[in-house]
Amino acid sequence: MPRLKSATDLEARRQEILARRDPKRPCVTICSGTGCHAYGSEKVAQAFAAEIGKNGLKEKVDIRRTGCHGYCERGTIVVIFPQEICYLRVKPEDVPEIIETTLVKGEVVERLLYEGEDAQKIIHEGDIPFYKHQSRIVFGPNRFIDPKSIDDYIARGGYAALAKVLSGMTPEAVLAEVKKANLRGRGGGGFPAGTKWETTRNAPGEPKYVIVNADEGDPGAYMDRSLLEGNPHSVLEGLTIGAYAIGASQGFVYVRQEYPLAVENLNAALEQARDYGLLGKNILGSGFDFDVMVHRGAGAFVSGESSALMTAIEGRVGEPRPKYIRTAISGIWGKPSNLNNVETWATVPLIIDKGADWFSGIGTKGSKGTKIFSLVGKVNNTGLVEVAMGMTLREIIYDIGGGIPGGKKFKAVQTGGPSGGVIPESLINTPVDFDELNKVGSMMGSGGMIVMDEDNCMVDVARYFLNFLSEESCGQCVPCREGIYQMLKILNRICAGQGRSGDIELLEEIAEVVRDASLCALGATAPNPVLSTIKYFRDEYQAHVEERRCPAGVCKELISYYIDPKKCQACLLCLRNCPVEAISGGKNLVHVIDQDKCTKCGACLEVCPTRFGAVVKLSGVPVPEAVSAGTEVKRKTRGEK
Amino acid sequence: MAKRKTKSTFIGLKVTSQQAETLAHLQKALNSPTKTEVLLRGLELLAASSLPAAPPQPTPRAAPQIATSLELSQIEAEARHYLHTLEQTKNRSEEVMKQMVQELAKIDQTVDKYHGDRNCLIQILLDIQRENRWLPRDALIWVSEKLDIPLSQIYHIATFYKAFSLVPQGRHSVSVCTGTACHVRGAPRLLEKVTDTLKIKPGETSSDLRFSLSTVNCLGCCALGPVMVVDDEYHSNPATEEMEKIFSACE
Repeated sequence: MPRLKSATDLEARRQEILARRDPKRPCVTICSGTGCHAYGSEKVAQAFAAEIGKNGLKEKVDIRRTGCHGYCERGTIVVIFPQEICYLRVKPEDVPEIIETTLVKGEVVERLLYEGEDAQKIIHEGDIPFYKHQSRIVFGPNRFIDPKSIDDYIARGGYAALAKVLSGMTPEAVLAEVKKANLRGRGGGGFPAGTKWETTRNAPGEPKYVIVNADEGDPGAYMDRSLLEGNPHSVLEGLTIGAYAIGASQGFVYVRQEYPLAVENLNAALEQARDYGLLGKNILGSGFDFDVMVHRGAGAFVSGESSALMTAIEGRVGEPRPKYIRTAISGIWGKPSNLNNVETWATVPLIIDKGADWFSGIGTKGSKGTKIFSLVGKVNNTGLVEVAMGMTLREIIYDIGGGIPGGKKFKAVQTGGPSGGVIPESLINTPVDFDELNKVGSMMGSGGMIVMDEDNCMVDVARYFLNFLSEESCGQCVPCREGIYQMLKILNRICAGQGRSGDIELLEEIAEVVRDASLCALGATAPNPVLSTIKYFRDEYQAHVEERRCPAGVCKELISYYIDPKKCQACLLCLRNCPVEAISGGKNLVHVIDQDKCTKCGACLEVCPTRFGAVVKLSGVPVPEAVSAGTEVKRKTRGEK
Repeated sequence: MAKRKTKSTFIGLKVTSQQAETLAHLQKALNSPTKTEVLLRGLELLAASSLPAAPPQPTPRAAPQIATSLELSQIEAEARHYLHTLEQTKNRSEEVMKQMVQELAKIDQTVDKYHGDRNCLIQILLDIQRENRWLPRDALIWVSEKLDIPLSQIYHIATFYKAFSLVPQGRHSVSVCTGTACHVRGAPRLLEKVTDTLKIKPGETSSDLRFSLSTVNCLGCCALGPVMVVDDEYHSNPATEEMEKIFSACE
């Protein structure tokens, strides 16, 4: 592959790629992101390859394995071009029918289409409600691109922004454009990227470094992973543009080793970019040199913090340091280093390509552009969503997410991962915006959005995050190491039904110290899950402490399982499924749980047929006296409720 | 009888004088005993004498006389048997040695891949971890020598990051996602079921090295939550029966 020596070369290559491709030629795209991979997209792809070969269509149909489409709930997703027919939940056994009906006859397989509320079938991906309300400018191209093919990226105008920068913009002009766009860091803090770039550019010391932070550690957030896996070139292009603006010649990508596919696709992308002359010496004949190294993280949440991450790149233990001097001035090996999140970098080419005005036309006053969220938890449409800043949480959860499954009631949404807070139903009209989310006690964070329903206990959620943080605290500073531990101890006590009066106030007091006195952001934001749950769900804490009751029925020590003798139909299901044989009874005899033996695993409740609904969870009330052994059941007669 | 207890040596092995006597007789009786054969006989006697709570020895015969050809052939057969075992042991230890040399050579390759750059220590350790599924002490010492980094510093890193294990891991890795999305969808209950079935806690390995159980913070397939991963196969909230089937399919 001859190297591209100029912007003209790149455009010529693009035309050449497009000329080779017939837009009318059928192409089967199969989502191969992590979510679909878990559903078995590998087997679907193999089935397509085999069936297409069998039907002699090999010369007539292309197969493309793309990155994540975002609609993880309905994986494996298959979209057939040029008609853009979107099939959901495709299994290998559906493949022959798809080929026969769609590729051979040109018709649609109705049963694999999206079905709307009024049983209306939707053919095109973009018309499905999940996608309709999104603005997928950064994440959208994923579904058209094979992440292992640089040609796919170039065909869609990839690297044009880089060519534009290198062939006619000064670094200062690039910087000015990014500043004008008011691009704020997507990793959590929301610091203006342009200002940070400028700091590094103006800081004394050479060489300078640029870094991609792909150490996405927040549990329940996976948008950076999907971008890096699905469209690695967009991140590399943004990084190269940033390096040019800042004056860096070496870049790093710090990626979690738990993301093997991201590492693989990224390395493949680096190779291709070097072959094409889009990385390395004299990029596109501009005289600008830049190359990138991949550094795999070894599993430490705190290493996602900027100073810790840079120490880790140096090959040492990734612990944060006090940042009297910012890493933008003194980072890797004491040199000016600019760190941005995956999504931030991937947004840069768009700003250059379409202009700062276009970008700042999207979003709110303080938060421009779009943000990708991973919408997960108790929501009908789990997946990755990209929305314009300013959209309300309600729109995201109900219009895109399709609401809460099982007819349950929405309780709260947690944003910002372990550093964020929970937002209750009363504030569900809050728009996603860096400042608005901070105001309600949460934060944008990297984009995790975990929906919770009435069955989730808020004290348990706070405990969950503190448990995570106490494990991940590096232990250098006392407020974080001890403070989180003590808060966790109190929360454990409350959940175990041993809460003391004054515990809630004590939590608030410790939280304040941890927030103000910790060394890095991990500690400083650690109290957020506790403080926000106390703020909005104080009554739930009080129920735990004062009434020894868990309103959501989650905290094991505060609940009991009980079989209502009036409803029990003696079906033996719970009796057989109890792992500790705590249920007695028999054929025609009312089943009774021995409370002393019961481990509260909940197996009985799970298996009890809903039409009986005999097993109930009790909390805060004494378990009724058990019926005497050998009591016969009162059979339901037909029609009786 | 007191004589039996006194120790003497035979070609470097500690034997009772009684045994030494037997061996001497053996040596004399067999015209040209190879060193191996004698050694083996010696080993056998040694093993017999050092077995814990060995059954009481039959009263020793007075000065054993190896005269008949039958006895000789018996001893020969015995020697052959032990010779075979020794060969096996020898081969095995050679294999172990070979394996060790190979392992260290592989580490050399890894270190070379990163051009012996000390800054790439974490990357090197990650590669070794992936190769062996743990970090053997020998390997760490070797890396320490190669990169001229104090072993203490290497241990600092190996204990700080979660990806590293300083104990051997099971042949099958089982991980339960405890990310937030899985947590609110019932990961604690799933984890409980897994620990009950495997009889090991997160972070532990079963004594037969069959399974290692761990928890992970997010696998990025939240739509399937709560999720269990067994050797890269994803299982969405498996029921108890299904879980048992999955585990029993693991050798």
